[in-house]
Amino acid sequence: MSWQAVARKEFRDAIRSRWLHGSTLFFALFLGGAAALFFGVLLAGSPEGTEAAADPKRVSNLFGFFANLGVFSFSFPGLLALVLGFIALSTSYGSITGERETGSIKLLLSLPNSRLDAVVGKFLGRSAVVVAALLVGFLLAFVVLVATGTQLQLGSFVPQVALTALLGMAFVSIGLGISALAGSNREATLATMGLYLVFAVLWGSISEGIPKLINYAAGEVGAGGVSELTRVKLGVFLKYLNPLKAYETLAAELYYGAARARLVSATFGEQAALGPVLQDSVPVYFSGEFLLLVLLAWIGVPIVVGYWAFERADL
Amino acid sequence: MAAIELDGVTKRFEDVIAVSDLSLTVEEGEVFGFLGPNGAGKSTTINVLLDFVRPTAGTVTVLDHDAREESVAVRERTGVLPEGFDVYDRLTGRAHVEFAVDSKEVDADPDAVLERVGLGDAADRKAGGYSKGMRQRLALAMALVGDPDLLILDEPSSGLDPAGAKEMREIVLSEADRGTTVFFSSHILEQVEAVCDRVGILREGELVAVDSIDGLRAASDADATLRITVGAAVGDELLATLRELDGVSSVDHDGDDGLRVGCDSDAKTTVVTTLEDNGVPVDDFSTREASLEDLFLAYTEDSVSAAESFDDGASADEDATTEGTEVPR
Repeated sequence: MSWQAVARKEFRDAIRSRWLHGSTLFFALFLGGAAALFFGVLLAGSPEGTEAAADPKRVSNLFGFFANLGVFSFSFPGLLALVLGFIALSTSYGSITGERETGSIKLLLSLPNSRLDAVVGKFLGRSAVVVAALLVGFLLAFVVLVATGTQLQLGSFVPQVALTALLGMAFVSIGLGISALAGSNREATLATMGLYLVFAVLWGSISEGIPKLINYAAGEVGAGGVSELTRVKLGVFLKYLNPLKAYETLAAELYYGAARARLVSATFGEQAALGPVLQDSVPVYFSGEFLLLVLLAWIGVPIVVGYWAFERADL
Repeated sequence: MAAIELDGVTKRFEDVIAVSDLSLTVEEGEVFGFLGPNGAGKSTTINVLLDFVRPTAGTVTVLDHDAREESVAVRERTGVLPEGFDVYDRLTGRAHVEFAVDSKEVDADPDAVLERVGLGDAADRKAGGYSKGMRQRLALAMALVGDPDLLILDEPSSGLDPAGAKEMREIVLSEADRGTTVFFSSHILEQVEAVCDRVGILREGELVAVDSIDGLRAASDADATLRITVGAAVGDELLATLRELDGVSSVDHDGDDGLRVGCDSDAKTTVVTTLEDNGVPVDDFSTREASLEDLFLAYTEDSVSAAESFDDGASADEDATTEGTEVPR
């Protein structure tokens, strides 16, 4: 079981990198700073007697912040997810190609480490580093929350920290998978950038486009159209397969409950179609358990695929 | 018992055949030198032993384990100094050795190992600042952790200064005394000569000779060279007579008063007596035994294996300009 040796080595190596110091500082400023700005400045200034002052400050004001303009939505968890995804990917995408290019992988695999040890150890070591940076940020935010007398809502805040850590691990895994599959650092860089673009920007449009395309194709062959509701359901289902979206929705669920969480960042069209459905009960394929499974799959599948490829490769 | 057994190993990279039908056995406790010009397939062979690359055909057994299926078991008992490796720039020398200790799951003192390879003072420095020679020593330290049964060293003295190379040699010899099997590749001949029980010569992916150094000398046509200082001119007719003697491969003028004769050791006396019988006084003579380099060149330059002793001139030229014939010293 020498994956521990590899994980320890990875951690010791990565913890000394300036990139990590930078991202830790960033998380500290981002999470701590946002909390300080929000609870210390924006909400603190409400004059006595107004509605805002009567309403106590809650964690959900920031960490469950969702604003929806119908076609475009913004949320604090969504923003955090975007940033974390980027940092986690950049922590891991070079972890195998880089070692192959410099030749340090020959030291790693001259020792009695199997290639599985190498992949698992790298995943755990790099995940630990990302999670550690993230925790520093959350810890600072927590200090600010306490200092500003914000209502802590620990039942939501703590699970959110855990979910965020899972999301970080998912992107470490995705980056590691790319690193194992890529033939060079350059390839890995391009693939990572491309994939990030898909996750962050394109996934939504693709998810909405696919049902329309199916509908169009069905009409062409004379099979008749698919109902509006089915199309919306399929579109939203596809959106939830995106780890960023799965995370954002799960985070919303922590503060708003299952049904509202499905709608807070949905388009007006989706809200109109899904609202009545969710009123009754949340279908299994939209459930929190399913979304969590999506997130876990994004942790498991990329490293399995990466290992599969790396195991077969000549160094 | 065999420490390393290669049987019919071939490795093809796309359209290049790096190693072709290689069969080789290295006995336990042996110090085996693997010689060949750059690009001959030495590193590929070593990479196959370590499961870095997988052979296209053939079987590889190391320390009684299949090198492909049981590679971890092989590496548990093998210390490796790879070729073309790099260190982890941000980790200290000690952290590297600790990584080796952790991976091998042994109880060893990193500082003692670092001391042994002469890096005791640099243990706390980041390896990114090490020189090429220090990196080489560091990798050797990692290889030595846990007293391996087999040491595989790929070009161990590259980057080392002469003193460093000597220390490396001494470490190899002391490991061999302990009973460790040592398999190392090199294109530096003195090193091989100084430590090896047997050598194998690899050329363009094929093993052209495996023998002890003495055995190779005997089998090769890179004979001893005899230099004779003569007291009178030697005519062409006499030269022709000398060339026809048994065991003589070449006779040439060497300056005004000298002859250079390539011949077996046994033929030396005949050459001298023949000269004197023909009225040419022999003032002095000296012999130089074929160096390993001569052997090496004989095996790696000719397109036909020298061991097969085809006549010299016919086929040697076409390969004479290939890169591989350059032998740095």
